[in-house]
Amino acid sequence: MPEYTIAAVAAVAAVIALEVRVFHTGLFRRAAYWVSMGIVFAFQVLVDGWLTKLSAPVVLYDEAGTTGARVPWDIPIEDFLFGFALLTLVLLLWERAGRHMRADGS
Amino acid sequence: MQPVGLVTTLAAATAAPPDERWQYLAILAGCLLVTLPLELVIGARVYRRPRRLIRAIAPAVVVFAVWDVIAIDRGHWRYNPSYVTGWELPGALPIEELAFFVVIPICALLTYEAVTVVLAAVRRRAARARAGRAGATRTAVGGA
Repeated sequence: MPEYTIAAVAAVAAVIALEVRVFHTGLFRRAAYWVSMGIVFAFQVLVDGWLTKLSAPVVLYDEAGTTGARVPWDIPIEDFLFGFALLTLVLLLWERAGRHMRADGS
Repeated sequence: MQPVGLVTTLAAATAAPPDERWQYLAILAGCLLVTLPLELVIGARVYRRPRRLIRAIAPAVVVFAVWDVIAIDRGHWRYNPSYVTGWELPGALPIEELAFFVVIPICALLTYEAVTVVLAAVRRRAARARAGRAGATRTAVGGA
């Protein structure tokens, strides 16, 4: 498998493992999480679509590093795993920080 | 003379290539602008909890900046010099990427907290409607 593809799949697996094995925030059981990810996904298509459009790309990918599948428009599908991992990690840390701060009474 | 001067100025302004080096940063600024009402109107309370915000974003920035530096080094992706400022951090990381790892998570947190606020309001309204119907039923039964 190409390197970016491997890294993106591994990142998603690592973030899910972090929640299931370590954090236990319950984020994946919250409706707000899944609704938010749906909204964020729609906006990612717009922003990432602009950044990756092959007619005037802001970011240029080495095709050898990806599966080469680009959808929708010219977005490498790996970018969606990258985005899922980044934003799920942030939401997990946010939930955990909120829990700690309530426990501290701060 | 004056109209000619104006025409010359306009011609120069339209002929000059727009400064596209700010494009990537401008997109990120647009993301912050578009999501601002989630904080100000819906009451997401993300910016108003700065310590929690930093604790949520800082570790992710570090992890993903390291990933970015490795990916740039291994040639997985590169940035079009036409659309970035050219200001780079160690590891050839464009400052735009650092901004991305701060801005996009803020947008996601604003979305998540705004959705939480809206869902709670919807649930309260549904609960009130149920209570209202139950009350009406009791009244009807009591009256009969």
